[in-house]
Amino acid sequence: MKKQSKPKVAFFDFSDCEGCQLQFANMGETLLEVMGLVDIVNFREIMSEAGEDYDVAFVEGSITTDNDVKRVKKIREKAKIVVALGACATIGGVNGMKNRAPLEVAKKRVYGDKADTVNTIKTMPVHEVVKVDYFINGCPVYIPEVVSVLKCILLGKPYVVPNYSVCVECKMNENVCRYEKDQECMGPVTRAGCNSWCVNNGNRCYGCRGLVDDPAANGAKDILAKYGLKLNDILNHFTLYNDSQGAKYDQAFK
Amino acid sequence: MKYASIKKEDLGKWLEHMKKKARVYVPKKKENQFIFRPLHDVSEVCLKYIPTILPPKKYYFPQKEKLLNFEIEPFKTSKAFKEFEEYILFAVHTCDIAGIQCMDIVFRETPEDPNYLNRKDKMTIIGIECLEYCDKYASCASMGNHEPRGGYDLMMIDIGEKFILHINSEKGEGLVRGVAYIKEASEAEMASLERVREAKKKVFKEEFAAPLPKIYEAFDKLFGSKVWDEVGKKCIACGNCTAVCPTCYCFDVYDDLDLSLDSGTRYRIWNSCQMDDFAKVVGGEDFRKGRDARQRHRYYRKFKYPVDKFNRYFCTGCGRCTRTCMSGISLIDTVNALATEMAWAEKAH
Repeated sequence: MKKQSKPKVAFFDFSDCEGCQLQFANMGETLLEVMGLVDIVNFREIMSEAGEDYDVAFVEGSITTDNDVKRVKKIREKAKIVVALGACATIGGVNGMKNRAPLEVAKKRVYGDKADTVNTIKTMPVHEVVKVDYFINGCPVYIPEVVSVLKCILLGKPYVVPNYSVCVECKMNENVCRYEKDQECMGPVTRAGCNSWCVNNGNRCYGCRGLVDDPAANGAKDILAKYGLKLNDILNHFTLYNDSQGAKYDQAFK
Repeated sequence: MKYASIKKEDLGKWLEHMKKKARVYVPKKKENQFIFRPLHDVSEVCLKYIPTILPPKKYYFPQKEKLLNFEIEPFKTSKAFKEFEEYILFAVHTCDIAGIQCMDIVFRETPEDPNYLNRKDKMTIIGIECLEYCDKYASCASMGNHEPRGGYDLMMIDIGEKFILHINSEKGEGLVRGVAYIKEASEAEMASLERVREAKKKVFKEEFAAPLPKIYEAFDKLFGSKVWDEVGKKCIACGNCTAVCPTCYCFDVYDDLDLSLDSGTRYRIWNSCQMDDFAKVVGGEDFRKGRDARQRHRYYRKFKYPVDKFNRYFCTGCGRCTRTCMSGISLIDTVNALATEMAWAEKAH
């Protein structure tokens, strides 16, 4: 492969915890190899400079104010490639819980009598505002997948996010199914790509990567019934990360 | 020597002996289920186990397997990896041995698959015959795999205080030859074996509502059956059934560049006909769009297509697909529903 000049990479965050950037910064030895391939010009967790000239923008966080909209549009204008980094940027993430109530009600709950002084809009994943070229799902992002996406960016190839459930990877890892232990799990309807990271480590799947395109709602309900779970219980788990995909859930599961 | 015997108390010693010769994989407990893992401590070996989460196919057709290395400039590819160590699969059920036989047919078909064969050449199989059902999900008697039908190096049969060892290959003989505590089976032991086999006939009964040729006929005639709608409604396309199947061998191949962007590795990874985009082609056409069509395809790849192509059923009767299905799709129920529909159709004529 011809070595071209190293692309300049910048990181920006919106409504989020900056944990996905932290994952990136904590990549370990691989980060040194990555630094050989790209120039990081703006990344406030690891450097004090904040370069405004960049080719690739990693955008973390969901869009939740009018100012966010303006800011992310500017980033889009400057960057050749925009990457949505993490659950908040790709599917709205936990912040999506704001969308559960009418905006005015949500504002009142958080800001009380100061609600009128705050500008806020519904929570949106980045692609609802500007075009996104690469999606890296997860809360937080899974570093092997980040590296795969990086390679795709450098090679000018698309990255296809898997459209099958976490169970596929979980079964290959030969985990005992959580349902067999009477523990619920979002794996059956959640998009894979994380190598069933949480379940491998004794946790359950929280659905942080969002739903597969065509979740089998009826089949999923049968499963809940078979294992004695109530639809409302599991809907609460579904909405933890996926409220900004509300319409899809309402249609499929309610 | 065709039949030998070993005292149960000597099994541990024998395992330690084999461990010196090769890597030994044994069934072990994992939480409330079982999996094949490398032998470390003989006390962990479970001889009484229901089929493991994944069949032993993970050792000769791994979930994710390196095929070869390549370089881009100048372009160069290496030959298939072949440096594998000798390994022994210990206490494999006869259903899983049938699975290995099926895989062999597929991967030995021209053009032979060197990656599979390189691993397979290093394998020794020691089976264990089931004398009781593992659970209600198995259909091994209907599939004819509840009894040993070849495909192994040694077969262990429990006759009480001892195991009879059926020696079925030179490799198998190599593992018992010169071992002081393994002796040629006596006449009395062979008589015990006969009694055990006789008793077993009362335990295992065909699980399907009709004999296999009738089942085949049902599959032949009932492609459009409502049975498939019902199965499709339940399915959530998690792909568990194909991952755990000892005869599912679909894979995808992809190239992974390392971070030099100059060289990389070609991998193959298990794929599944249950996935949404499995039969999608350029232009967006999808040949098996619904979960009903995809589930039907899985069944036809066990009871119809391989019978036409290889003259062999590719269901081993291990019951894993039913055991693992979260939404309760049962292989026995599905097959029996087809058989019943077929019987009704015949009556109507």
